[in-house]
Amino acid sequence: MSIFGTRKTRAVVVALAAGSLALTACGGNSDSGTKDKSKTQEDAAQQSQAVIFGDAAASTGPAPEVPGARSGGTATVYQDSDFSHLDPGQTYVSDGKLLDRLIQRGLTQYAEDDKGRLTLVGDLATDSGKTTDGGKSWTFTLKDGLKDQNGNAITSADVRHSIERLYAPFITDGPTYVQAWLSGAGTTYRKALPDGPYKGKHLPDSVLATPDAKTVVFKFKDAHPDLPQALAMPGYSLVPAKTDTKEKYDTAPVATGPYKIAEFKPGKSMTLVKNENWDPKTDSVRHQYVDGFNIQYNHDDDDQTKTILADRGEAKNAVMFTGQVSTNQVRNVVNDPEAMKRTIQGYAPYVWQLNFNLDRMKDKKVRDAITYALPSAQIYKLDGGAYGGETATGLISPTTPGYEKDYDPFGKLKKPNGDVEKAKALIKEAGAEGQKVVYAYGNTPVRQQQAVVIADRLKAIGLDVVKKEIDSATWYEQVGKVQNGLDLYMTGWGQDWPSASTVIPPLYDGTQIQDGSSVYSHINDPKVNSEIQRILKISDPAEAQKAWTALHHDIVERINPAAPIYFTKVFQIFGSNVGGIRYSTDSSYVDVTRIFLKK
Amino acid sequence: MLQFLIRRAFGAVLTLFLISAVTFFMFFAIPQDPALLACGKNCTPDALAVIHQNLGLDKPVPVQFWDFMVGVFAGRDFAVGHCDAPCFGVSFATQQNVWDTILDRFPLTLSLSIGGLIVFLIVGLGAGMIAAAKKGTATDKVFSSASLVLSSLQIYFLGPVVLGLFVYSTGWLDKPKWVPISESVSGWFMGLLIPWLVISVIFTANYTRMSRSTMIEQLQEEHVRAARAKGMSRSYVFFRYAWRGSLIPIVTILGMDLGALFGGAIVTEFTFGLPGIGRLAVQSVQDKDLPLTMGVMVFSAAFILLFNVIVDATYALIDPRVRLS
Repeated sequence: MSIFGTRKTRAVVVALAAGSLALTACGGNSDSGTKDKSKTQEDAAQQSQAVIFGDAAASTGPAPEVPGARSGGTATVYQDSDFSHLDPGQTYVSDGKLLDRLIQRGLTQYAEDDKGRLTLVGDLATDSGKTTDGGKSWTFTLKDGLKDQNGNAITSADVRHSIERLYAPFITDGPTYVQAWLSGAGTTYRKALPDGPYKGKHLPDSVLATPDAKTVVFKFKDAHPDLPQALAMPGYSLVPAKTDTKEKYDTAPVATGPYKIAEFKPGKSMTLVKNENWDPKTDSVRHQYVDGFNIQYNHDDDDQTKTILADRGEAKNAVMFTGQVSTNQVRNVVNDPEAMKRTIQGYAPYVWQLNFNLDRMKDKKVRDAITYALPSAQIYKLDGGAYGGETATGLISPTTPGYEKDYDPFGKLKKPNGDVEKAKALIKEAGAEGQKVVYAYGNTPVRQQQAVVIADRLKAIGLDVVKKEIDSATWYEQVGKVQNGLDLYMTGWGQDWPSASTVIPPLYDGTQIQDGSSVYSHINDPKVNSEIQRILKISDPAEAQKAWTALHHDIVERINPAAPIYFTKVFQIFGSNVGGIRYSTDSSYVDVTRIFLKK
Repeated sequence: MLQFLIRRAFGAVLTLFLISAVTFFMFFAIPQDPALLACGKNCTPDALAVIHQNLGLDKPVPVQFWDFMVGVFAGRDFAVGHCDAPCFGVSFATQQNVWDTILDRFPLTLSLSIGGLIVFLIVGLGAGMIAAAKKGTATDKVFSSASLVLSSLQIYFLGPVVLGLFVYSTGWLDKPKWVPISESVSGWFMGLLIPWLVISVIFTANYTRMSRSTMIEQLQEEHVRAARAKGMSRSYVFFRYAWRGSLIPIVTILGMDLGALFGGAIVTEFTFGLPGIGRLAVQSVQDKDLPLTMGVMVFSAAFILLFNVIVDATYALIDPRVRLS
């Protein structure tokens, strides 16, 4: 998913995504004298481990008790703005995902250990799914005793309905993996059920079958070994057929998770209370320690940090969901040992990269020169420093299985501020001195500051840079056009689940190039395209991971469609009375399933 | 007086109509389809067409404006249900009834504005009158100098300073937050105390200076001096004769400041993280949410116009000559 989507699909949030932290320098001690206590790759090595597929035992509730946990109290949540969607089918971004973990359930979910290692387990299903044909068909059996917030029993018909409603025209924001696998890629799948299930039509049993009230069978033309992971996305959470209100569902969803919405005032607040019809015996991951959550909007990162750092009144019970320690408060937090005990850190899955529009930037030597030249450390210093980012050496994030710490084809680890001499030599060799390049950037403060650094460096290596500022609200729409008239533009992307299969195909599969696609570089290489199709069919995760790694090398070294700039990190703080806090590899933010209040 | 009010009310309705029309047509000058924002990342032409239809964007702009105006007086039907009059439509972004959303946010902005107004009027006029009464003394100089310094401050500067000092560092005061007065009077008062004080510090200065100078002027008027010469007490003349005369220019700037106070709610609400009309206005523009933008604009304009009518009526009460003009 693009980082645009992870924060919020609104202009104001693009600004947020574009820069929340910034202060400390990379590695060691910062230039401000603040000791760097940021997360290192060694700390986070578990984050990039391959996912384990859990069995029925791992999927059986209740969840293991959190040490020291007690029940009661209402946790306060500070958020910058509204959740982008409440309808599970429309939910794709991080804020929605965190809420979804509290109020919704899907067929599968991730269980996580204290080191961030993920195990995929059954959520509504008894296990993480069964396949006997290498992933061409998958069978899920529902647990006993499942009910929605109204006390209605959850059956396989509800699961079918939840999938089929994703074909309806009003569902436009959620993931499309499963629909595309069932009924055709791109937008073709919608033709299979143009009105969703609302006019009495259904997908044929040859595609989606519900032989009894507890069994759901997905049937694909090709093998899709990643289906259980895709189904853990919030976009595939359950929408009970009886209570589906179509468009209206986005403002008043029915809960299946441990909490339900008691009050929702758009732009102001949301109150969650316990869902009495959620049975902990059916859930091996979530807890229901607090009585509820009081979610307050209109608190930006700076306000959240100051309030929680002060730790007074209700802020003692406060947690951040997608907020982060703000730029100008990093030093105050890091220099306060008591406050640091109330923080969590981790790698987020996003890789910021400078895309080369391959329709226009045809000379690889020029692309390589720019990649060598970019001063990654200076660039991410403007977007969080050591607590917000780290020099990227490739296009796969440290959170993605297959990430290689030592893979550094452009020598960025030795020269995080770029290699100008080498770049100049390559530009000269290519005869590109004075070549005009149109470099586009969003009009947020962080991108504007970064644009100065990047443009200066491009000039320094002999290119004639034309800077073009674009409204951040329409950034991805504009750079996503095939005929965008641009040469260079920075985008962020992160995995949808821990696999390179949600990174490489969306970004580098040339067959998907069209207006609005995420193949921002317009790479369209036959070898890469065919390799992607081949690897997607590999059912053995280890073998697939190896193949993705090899393909990643090939893309970076043979084609170089995008210069890696920096990986992203998350740094959050919590009130002193909040317990059970830990970083979640799955959500890239706090693990909301185990929060409790100490007193 | 009645004729005066009818004339003013008619002018206000005409102004509101013009504001509505200008806002509506300006919105469509933005070179971006608002339906695209509602359409999401998997937008298809079919989905876009459905959204256009649901939002009424498939009709010509003048027809859309007509529908909007009809909705205001007679209500409208939308894909998410019926919207009773006064219907400003359904938000593109949240699918919520715009009128309900505005009514939900309005009490905060009203509390903020009226509370701030009361504080700065009491403090500002009081300080100005004291300074006038003690013209040339140290008290006058302190009040006059302070007003000069304070009038140069801005909410976005003073607000964070006050928060840093009294909330984050010392914890002496609660962080501003909105508690409806119906839930808790003390919670409502304490939640808005800091914003009121900050607003009043900034606005007070003008009133101190204005009331001081007009009072000094009034105290030198012949009818005031004649009253004193006739043996009336100093305080009687001060309040009964001079103060009333000094109110005209104060009511004039109050009329303008009410607009500034309401418009300035954007800055105040962002500074203190409060969810009022100002924040709603910014959000609606960022979301290219036409119904919400229209609703907030028209509602705010109506409110400011109402205040202006009240101010005009107050003029007429204070100075009968206004009724004749």
